[in-house]
Amino acid sequence: MTIRPEQAKEIIRDAIANLNEELPEVERVDVKPSTVLFGMGAEIDSLSLVSLVVDIETALSDKFNLDIALADEEATARPVLPFSTVQALEEYILERANESR
Amino acid sequence: MTKSVIEIARSPHEGSFTRLRPLVAEDSELTLRWRLSKRAMHLNRGSTSVEQQRAWIQGRPATELNFVIETKDKMAVGMLSLIDIDFTHRRAEAARFLLGDEISTRGLPVAVEAMKLLYQVAFDQLGLARVYGTVIEDNPRMLKWQKYLGMQVEGRLRQHIMINDRLQDVIVVGLLEAEFREIALPRMAGLISLAGIPPHGIEEPE
Repeated sequence: MTIRPEQAKEIIRDAIANLNEELPEVERVDVKPSTVLFGMGAEIDSLSLVSLVVDIETALSDKFNLDIALADEEATARPVLPFSTVQALEEYILERANESR
Repeated sequence: MTKSVIEIARSPHEGSFTRLRPLVAEDSELTLRWRLSKRAMHLNRGSTSVEQQRAWIQGRPATELNFVIETKDKMAVGMLSLIDIDFTHRRAEAARFLLGDEISTRGLPVAVEAMKLLYQVAFDQLGLARVYGTVIEDNPRMLKWQKYLGMQVEGRLRQHIMINDRLQDVIVVGLLEAEFREIALPRMAGLISLAGIPPHGIEEPE
């Protein structure tokens, strides 16, 4: 089984929806490919970052039997950090998922 | 010896994005504003006036380390404490964690680095064996955060605390020294790295 781009998008969308349920209305995150998640100009703080990391890693494990760490050395060594934008996160998930096959 | 160790721990602690400095009476107005904000809805109700808050700060016992969380340019954005420090049983509670200025912490690993600095104080400076804490059931984001950063769920105190007009269960979590080094530190390092290069460049924490 491989992860398709729309499946990666859905995992990210669901994780952000979960996060938004946990946040006050004024802090909720809008989901666009260009949305900056973490780093300069970002939408979320590090508490919310952990929420996304946990939910996405859990979904990858539960739905696709994939054990991918989103905040490990491999993730943080990249020139484009995985949580820089929603688009970068999707690309990172697809890359790690397909290389682990 | 114990007294000098805790006095040293009461000094500021520097990270790459964040610093902890001692909470002082002059922080009364700011910290009261944070404590009365919606973001503090998961904490106990405390003081209701600046005078009460000042008295509360001045009355903190020697068994507590109370810090203001600052960004590297010394903007105060939150607070964090280590309370009930017990050198006999080598344990303490991480408590009163609050980011009062959410907008200033967006995109920055302020919360995670503040917690890292606090754990380093507990395990490296004070030589504690265990740090524990509590999270109310209404705060799933905080529980998720504590578990990801190595805290183990140790139990549930049913209908333990009146917050938001109802008695809530409290989840007890705890972190042992080995878990701090093997789980918490690598995960914290990863999360801090996800923010990219610190605004003032990379510098070695003290």
